[in-house]
Amino acid sequence: MKPIFRLLFLILLFTTGISATSQAETEDQNRVDLIGKVVDHHYLDFKPLGTIELPRFIYDDGEFFFYRNTTSLLNQESDRFTDASYLDSQLEKVDGQIVPASYEVVRSDGTTPDFDFSITSHLIFFWLAAIITLLVFLPLSRKYKQGTGRRTEPKGPFQNIFETLVIFIRDDIALQNIGPGKYQKFTPYLLTVFFMILFMNFFGLMPWGVSSTADITVTAVLAIFTFLATQIFASKEHWKHIFWFPGVPVPIKFILMPVELLGLFTKPFALCIRLFANMASGKILIFSLLGTIFIFSELFGPGIAYGTSWIWVLLTLFVYLIKALVSFIQAYVFTILSALFIGLAVDDHSEEQAH
Amino acid sequence: MEMELAHLAAGFGAGITTIGAAIGIGMIGKGAMEGSARQPEASGDIRTSMLISAAFIEGVALFGQVVCIILALS
Repeated sequence: MKPIFRLLFLILLFTTGISATSQAETEDQNRVDLIGKVVDHHYLDFKPLGTIELPRFIYDDGEFFFYRNTTSLLNQESDRFTDASYLDSQLEKVDGQIVPASYEVVRSDGTTPDFDFSITSHLIFFWLAAIITLLVFLPLSRKYKQGTGRRTEPKGPFQNIFETLVIFIRDDIALQNIGPGKYQKFTPYLLTVFFMILFMNFFGLMPWGVSSTADITVTAVLAIFTFLATQIFASKEHWKHIFWFPGVPVPIKFILMPVELLGLFTKPFALCIRLFANMASGKILIFSLLGTIFIFSELFGPGIAYGTSWIWVLLTLFVYLIKALVSFIQAYVFTILSALFIGLAVDDHSEEQAH
Repeated sequence: MEMELAHLAAGFGAGITTIGAAIGIGMIGKGAMEGSARQPEASGDIRTSMLISAAFIEGVALFGQVVCIILALS
């Protein structure tokens, strides 16, 4: 279990590092907060219409604190919690209300509360993707149980669109990589992972939408699920290959053991980082391209910036289309690599022994 | 000074990992193109294994990028 905790610790380190920089960026009002567009927030951003603050749920010193939003948390009677950016400076009140600045809630002495279970923007879009997955596939499965699509041809747009994808995942991903006889057990998991990631990625393409796969915690949870599926259903052969590699001299076995053991954890780690980095970099690329217009206006004056802006807008459009493609490819790659790892682990070489 | 050096190292590291990944993915693309040109009927299987090996190379490159990000944020 320990390496899992270490992995979680690494992830925590990584995400807190990102949020720390975003806080430093927001202090300078003239800068465009690029990292702030990518990281998680405690509000839904509907610029220029406004923002919706999300509920705060904090567990501290054995007590639960539940507030409708961050503003009501900061304006409560006891000043137990405060916004992190108010620690050094004076409280600024607008209409007698404390306005959250960094949305990072700390105790009034500056330490972080025990657990912050607050609902964030990434979580909202994660739930939305889950609800859409359920709404699409529960009626579809009912249809197939009644016989439409099995005894007759598929009816309706949903059945026609998703049947091709489902068949593709079953035949070209699950059956190809896990092998006949065992793939039925893992097909539901692979389908769920594929469509969840796909819907989460597509939310990043929508206006005001956030792709929750650009959050390393989401991808880490997905990778941990694959890791668990791999290890729980692993064959004896798999464990033998890790701890006592067959067919090599004894000293080599001792050298191979830590290498193989490390390999167990690098696979899900790579899965997690790959999905996160691909989705986050797409966002950063789009904002960097649009930001070039403002850099040009500072370097060469606003006239040249206006004149060349169409280049960057066209390039952004191109990158947006690439992002749509990458959404598909990353969902596919995550699913096929999950299937590959599961297939490697559950394979007990029974076919080779039969020959 | 040390902070600047860390940022410089992060920039160099990101560039070098990208070169490595680009060489790797380019070679995979070359192999896949040649393979499917010789055997067009196997292009589906070749595409799948091309994507898988590209994903593995990408994974290694991303490890390098993560180190660079940690350096840049330090």
